[in-house]
Amino acid sequence: MAEPTPLVLPDDASEGQSEAELMRQVAVGEIGGLETLYDRYHTMAYALALRITTETGLAEDVVQDSFLGLWRNAARYAEDKGSVRGWLLAIVRHRAIDAMRRQRAGVALGDEAVEALPAALTLPDIWPEVSGRLDAQQVRVALMVLPPAQREVIELAYFEGLTQREIADRTHAPLGTVKSRMRLGMVALKDHLVDHVDETAGTMVSPANGKKGLA
Amino acid sequence: MAMTCDRVCELASGFVLGALDSGDMIAVSDHLDRCQKPHPEIAELGGVLPYIADSLEPVEAPVWLRESVIAAARADLAAGRRVGKPAEHRIVEPRETSVATPAPVLAFSHAEIATTPASIVSLSAVRASRRRRAATWVTRIAAAVAILGLSGYSFNLQSELRRAQQISDANASILHAMGEPDTRRAVFIAADGSAAGGLAALRPTGHIMLNVYGLAKTQGNEVYVVWLSSGNGSPTSSWTKAGSFTVDDSGRGYLEVDNAPTSSNLWLYVCREANGNVLQPTGPRVLTATIWL
Repeated sequence: MAEPTPLVLPDDASEGQSEAELMRQVAVGEIGGLETLYDRYHTMAYALALRITTETGLAEDVVQDSFLGLWRNAARYAEDKGSVRGWLLAIVRHRAIDAMRRQRAGVALGDEAVEALPAALTLPDIWPEVSGRLDAQQVRVALMVLPPAQREVIELAYFEGLTQREIADRTHAPLGTVKSRMRLGMVALKDHLVDHVDETAGTMVSPANGKKGLA
Repeated sequence: MAMTCDRVCELASGFVLGALDSGDMIAVSDHLDRCQKPHPEIAELGGVLPYIADSLEPVEAPVWLRESVIAAARADLAAGRRVGKPAEHRIVEPRETSVATPAPVLAFSHAEIATTPASIVSLSAVRASRRRRAATWVTRIAAAVAILGLSGYSFNLQSELRRAQQISDANASILHAMGEPDTRRAVFIAADGSAAGGLAALRPTGHIMLNVYGLAKTQGNEVYVVWLSSGNGSPTSSWTKAGSFTVDDSGRGYLEVDNAPTSSNLWLYVCREANGNVLQPTGPRVLTATIWL
C-alpha cells in the first residue's frame, strides 16, 4: 500500500528572506512581499485576534485590516525599532481590542486604525535572538511559572485591554495590589524569558542597554 | 506635577501594556518625549509583549482571507492609498481625527481611549478630547446616539455583504475548477449523520479545492483539519494534514492547497480538532470524501 505523499504547504515558501527585505518589497508596492509576510505570520495574527475577539468573523476582519495597515504603512516601518512580527502583533492586538470595544458600544469598525498605525515605535525588539529560540511551549512555561495572580493581571491587560483600575474592579483586588502584581509579573516574565535563552544559548542577549533586569 | 524618572520606572509595566489611566499614560509619554536620560525599562518590558502572544497556538485562517488581503492590497496600489513617509515619533500619534473615525466616539468614550494599548495609544486623540471639554454634552450625546446607530447598522451590513461575496466567490471558484478538463471531483459525505456536505476538486497540477457546508461553528482555538491519505488500495492509517479552517455562523468552510498527490486514489477526512497543531486526526470525523484515480 502506498504511503501518503507529504504535502508541501504554502507556509514553507519563501523561507530565508529577511523581514527587512520583505518590508522593503512591501514598501515599494511588491505584492509578493506581502504574500510572504502573510504566509509567515497569519496563523499567529489570527490566533491573537481570535483569542481577543473570540469570534471568527471579527478575528478575520481584524487580520485583514492589520495586514492592510502593514501594507499601507510599510514605508513607516523602521527596522531598528522593532521586528515586523512584533509590529504586526501590536497592530493586531490594538485592532482586536478596539474592535471589541466598538462592538460593545455598537460602533462600526472604522478605517482609522489602518490609516494610523503605530510608527515602528513599537518598542525595540530587545532580544532579536530570542524569537528564534523560544517556542510557544517555552513561553507558556514562562507564563505558568508566574504566580497565578500576576499572570491573571498580565493576561487581562494584554488580551482584554483592561486598565489596572478595571482589573481591580474585575478581580475585586485593591488597585495598589493590581499595580504591584503587574509590575512584578512583567519583570519576572522578562527575566524568565532571558534566563531561558541564557540556558539554551549560553550567552546573554543584551536587552537595550546591555544590562539584564531593570534599573 | 511633573513625572519623575523613578515614577516612570514604577509605571513602566502598566505603560507598555496600555493599562494605566489616561492621565498617567499621557504623563509617561510626555516624560519620555522630553527626558534626556535613557529609559531602558520601557524597551525591556515592552519587548516582552510579542512573546505573550507566542503563548498562543497558531491558528490557520480561512483560505479566502489571504485572497481577500491580497485583493485589497492590489486595490490600494491602484488607488495610491499608501503612506510614503516614515514616522519619527516614539509614541504613535494618529491623526487628530480622520474622516473614517466616528467622531462622537472621542467625546463619548474617553475611557476607551485611555485603555488603548500603550504602544499604539491615540494620545493626540485624548489630548484633543480634553481640549473639547467646553462643548455642550447635550449636543455630543445626541450626535453620538445618531451616528452610533447608523455606524453599527452600516458595519453589520458591510460584514454581511462581505461574507456573502466571499461565499459566492468560493462557490464560483470550485465550480469553475470542477468544469475544467482532467479535474477529478468528489462529494463530501457527513460522517456523523448530520446534514453537512461539500465538494472537492483536484486539478492535475495537485491543486486541491474544498468547499464544505453545514458545519458547526468553531469555538476558541478549534479548527476543522483536512487530512489526506493517498494510495491504490484503501486508506492507510497514516494521514497528512493538508490544512485547516475555521467556520462561522454560516457553517461554510474553504480550503485550497497545492501539491496534493495526484497519482493515486486520495481520501479526505475533515475532523474537528481542538487546535491546528495536531499531527494525526484526533477529533471527531465530520466529513469524508474519496477522489478516485
